[in-house]
Amino acid sequence: MKSAPFEHHEPDTVAEAVSLLESLDEPTLLAGGQSLVPMLRFRLANPDVVVDINGIDSLEYLREEDGYLKLGALARHADVEDSDLIDERYGSFADTAPLVADPQIRNRGTVVGSVAQADPKGDWGSVLIAHDGEVVVEGPDGERAIPADEFFLLPYDTTLGEEELITEARVPTPTEREGSAYHKLKRKTGDYAMAGVAARLRFDDDGRIESAGIAMTAVDITNARAAEAEAALEGERPSPELFEEAGELAAEASNPESDEHGDAAYKERMVDVLAQRALGDAAERAGAVKRRVTQ
Amino acid sequence: MSDEREITLTVNGTEHTIEVEPRRLLVHAIREDLDMTGTHIGCDTGNCGACTVLVDGEPIKSCLMFAAQADGSEILTVEGMEDLPDAGPELHPLQEGFKEEHGLQCGYCTPGMLMAGKALLEENPDPDEAEIRDAISGNLCRCTGYQNIVKAIEYAADELDDAERVAADGGAITADAGGDGGPDPADGPLYEADVGDADTFCGREDCCGGPSTDETHRGEDPPEQFDTEHMGGDEE
Repeated sequence: MKSAPFEHHEPDTVAEAVSLLESLDEPTLLAGGQSLVPMLRFRLANPDVVVDINGIDSLEYLREEDGYLKLGALARHADVEDSDLIDERYGSFADTAPLVADPQIRNRGTVVGSVAQADPKGDWGSVLIAHDGEVVVEGPDGERAIPADEFFLLPYDTTLGEEELITEARVPTPTEREGSAYHKLKRKTGDYAMAGVAARLRFDDDGRIESAGIAMTAVDITNARAAEAEAALEGERPSPELFEEAGELAAEASNPESDEHGDAAYKERMVDVLAQRALGDAAERAGAVKRRVTQ
Repeated sequence: MSDEREITLTVNGTEHTIEVEPRRLLVHAIREDLDMTGTHIGCDTGNCGACTVLVDGEPIKSCLMFAAQADGSEILTVEGMEDLPDAGPELHPLQEGFKEEHGLQCGYCTPGMLMAGKALLEENPDPDEAEIRDAISGNLCRCTGYQNIVKAIEYAADELDDAERVAADGGAITADAGGDGGPDPADGPLYEADVGDADTFCGREDCCGGPSTDETHRGEDPPEQFDTEHMGGDEE
């Protein structure tokens, strides 16, 4: 089916985009379009006006700066997948990118667009939460940074203002003793997650866990933090028993729904397993434990 | 509101200027405005990959992009493959591979598979099986079970590798140029097409194009046996 007709605006700068968002009547933002274009075509979305940000070159970046890893709103999943910087220092991002949809969609779709879409089955929201990341937005009142924890409200609903544009997603750069990972269960390539867990562990000089981040995909109404599991880890030394405990706490914190892919109990169990695996990888990547022999 | 606008698409090296509505999808512009129907529309939802084309060298699903967004881009579709520099006299080695390895049955997914394969070999001339399967993971085939598609892309990788080696030798025939199973330059052009070759086609009207050594592909087999063998319906 074809989209309903719409007016297509292509601003060249963020300022121009924001002024369009202010002046136009209920505009919809278009970035990679890998979710929005099908929604337009199924007429699940029927905007009169589309503001297409693909021409804003200043949003095409993926870099470390001022203590953050920053992804501009036009950083595509494939840019993350192909980045040496990501491979070296950001395990969870390196794990996630190749698990998003399929190669063609990763060439167009953007990380920030996926976050903005706020599908609870989207992967990047969990990664941002586990890293204590932020979403940087630009609006009529200037720039503000929204902590990832406060960004997601409901499925497809966020705290982004109607006249605001997300310009960037960012996470603090890791220390030398920090590692992260993402594990995702899906039936086949291209599917959304049945369940996913992002984990980040930072160790102190003594080898104890100084800070932990665990967030879950597809098992609640939004990407969700497993705060009790994180608390159980902090101050402890890594061990399979500790990660088992954290996995159980994450499973308890999850709130999955039964569907054709599995019932709620199964998905909770998968959260437990995926959390343990992600924690194991994160600890290994932080250099805190030797290579794990089991999976 | 249907403000048409002028866009320029360079498709397979030829520049086209067309007027499109903003809602015009790239795949519709290619098929309907430019009349190049080699690019297929399969699922219409971004799942199947039949509409895959290369935009500025990258494979994308042309049903998930508006034509206006491709304004100024270089686009490669299946129609352009035979004219690529690395193509043979009639076909590109990838197309040759799909033919030689029986990489298609109904052929609906093939244009998209060729594009995905082209993008892969461009980036990684010597992919292993896992890399090939990953590269075509956004493309659905409901006939082949993928095995022969993987073989087809492997075939093309080998052919292109051989061609490069011959080219690196300045086109000279060297002792080992054909010694590793590659085509022997002495036999003529590297990618000579053999459409209608009696070795490949058994003469049956419904010839499946499979290898002639296949038990089921000898012309004299009755259709029942063909079906039984291929469908495996009575095995259990």
